[in-house]
Amino acid sequence: MSGNVVFARKEALEILRTWRIWVLPGILLFFAATGPVLARYTPEIVSAFAPDQLGGFQIPTPTYLDAYAQWVKNLSQIALFALIIIYAGLVSGESKSGTAVLVLTKPVSRSAFVVVKSAVHTLFYAVVLVLGTLLTWGLTAVAFHTAPGSPLWSSALVSLVLGELFIAVMTLLSVLIGSSAGAAGAGLGAYALLSIAGMWKPLARYSPAGLGNDATALAAGTPTDVLWPVVTAFALMVALVAIAAALYRRKDL
Amino acid sequence: MTAAIQTTALTKTYGEARALDAMDLTVPEGSVFGFLGANGAGKTTTLRLLTGLARPTSGSVQVLGRDVATAGNAVRSEIGFLPDVPGFYDWMTAPELMRFAGGLFGIGRTVLEARVEMLLDLAGLTGVATTVGGFSRGMKQRLGVAQSLVNAPRLLLLDEPTSALDPMGRKDVLEMIASLRGRTTVFFSTHILADVERVCDTVAILDRGRVVAHAPIDELKARYGAQKVVVEVTDGADELAEEIGRRTWAGAVARKSTAGNGGNGSSGPIEVTVTDVEAAQREIPALVAARGLGLIRMDAGEMGLEEVFVELVGGDRR
Repeated sequence: MSGNVVFARKEALEILRTWRIWVLPGILLFFAATGPVLARYTPEIVSAFAPDQLGGFQIPTPTYLDAYAQWVKNLSQIALFALIIIYAGLVSGESKSGTAVLVLTKPVSRSAFVVVKSAVHTLFYAVVLVLGTLLTWGLTAVAFHTAPGSPLWSSALVSLVLGELFIAVMTLLSVLIGSSAGAAGAGLGAYALLSIAGMWKPLARYSPAGLGNDATALAAGTPTDVLWPVVTAFALMVALVAIAAALYRRKDL
Repeated sequence: MTAAIQTTALTKTYGEARALDAMDLTVPEGSVFGFLGANGAGKTTTLRLLTGLARPTSGSVQVLGRDVATAGNAVRSEIGFLPDVPGFYDWMTAPELMRFAGGLFGIGRTVLEARVEMLLDLAGLTGVATTVGGFSRGMKQRLGVAQSLVNAPRLLLLDEPTSALDPMGRKDVLEMIASLRGRTTVFFSTHILADVERVCDTVAILDRGRVVAHAPIDELKARYGAQKVVVEVTDGADELAEEIGRRTWAGAVARKSTAGNGGNGSSGPIEVTVTDVEAAQREIPALVAARGLGLIRMDAGEMGLEEVFVELVGGDRR
């Protein structure tokens, strides 16, 4: 078995045997479980807690699309914040603890070290997101007695691309910035920039900046062309991880 | 004999600080090589350059005949390395860590299992079921030594391997290093001189990024041993030591107390580091006679490695 495969297996085992198995799945599955329930019972909850403040305002009857919108909003906000914080030390954490030295003085290249870590966590996020989407789908079907798959899965997959892009961003930032807090701060800055860029329509149409809005539109059942944002996001992901690997090769450990 | 390690004008700077200053070093293949230096002399920096963890500012590093900067996995597959503070995945057990380390070298399952068992036994970690996160510093150090041997390396690089060990652990590690003589080149950095004297056949002494001595250990001791004279007189040793200290050929003058001298400093041997042995041999008896003292003995004392080390790097720190 090659050193890279052994290292990838270690990375996967590390997820299963440390806090990593609890935090990201915990956050996503919590929102996946609560989203449909909250969407279904929002009118009752609001009426129970603030009966006098609604005046004549009538809350529309919730539909399965509200549950989908809730899930996609959480994927575009809370899940991204979680990814930024969790992966701020993806590479720098190993450099600091000395485990990078343990691995990189053996026949594993620095490029492989960075690429394998990024790839394994990209896969992990995909698995967690699919599980969360399945949970939301099932609970939506229970709560609303109808749950068409297409709006949910198309929007979730677009959100997945956005999440994977942020894992690539954090891979680069965790190579560039030794401090996890510093990398997380820079990651939040990247999130803010991408959100602002998404407001400019031409940029949103042809770049990953449009992924968030596209996911929201798809969850609402609006047909949306996501080809350019998805293709450019994949290209940017590859470029970010390649730059991270190139920079890590030159770094003194 | 081919060189396991060859550095040429190796320099490493960190901003204004020069950690290594045009260091030339040759480590013969098959030797057990002690790399001595005080804290901050540049030992760890040298090891980081040898393993490719850091890049030289200038100069070159050849390990097992290959340039470290370009050889990549070809060099790494033939070396074993123990850093000064080994880092492990805290959630692994010792056998898991060993299997992981061996797996990175692509060692087959059967061979790997046999080596893991043998090396854990050597490290005294057989049957330890806790994860590495619960290990003491000494246990981690022993695991570090074990993992550095998992690929049966041609070159073993050890950075302060005994510094965290208790006397028994230290003895075991030194015996293990000695047992590798002739099979593996061992390059071992330390500031514990007794360890080097015990197991190394060749030594280099590093001071402020420069190699100030590099020779087989016996040759080094003999070279510096000839430059020390020990004088013992019946009384008046303090005044005589003072008088000797004023001579141009005298370096450091030290008094050694002996049992039964009452601590008055008037007797006990005087150790003089000399720059001109012949002048010292001529003038010291004359000084003793001029003071009317009885000469008990005068001989060339053999310097230990510790004294050689202090002599070479102690200079302005004394």
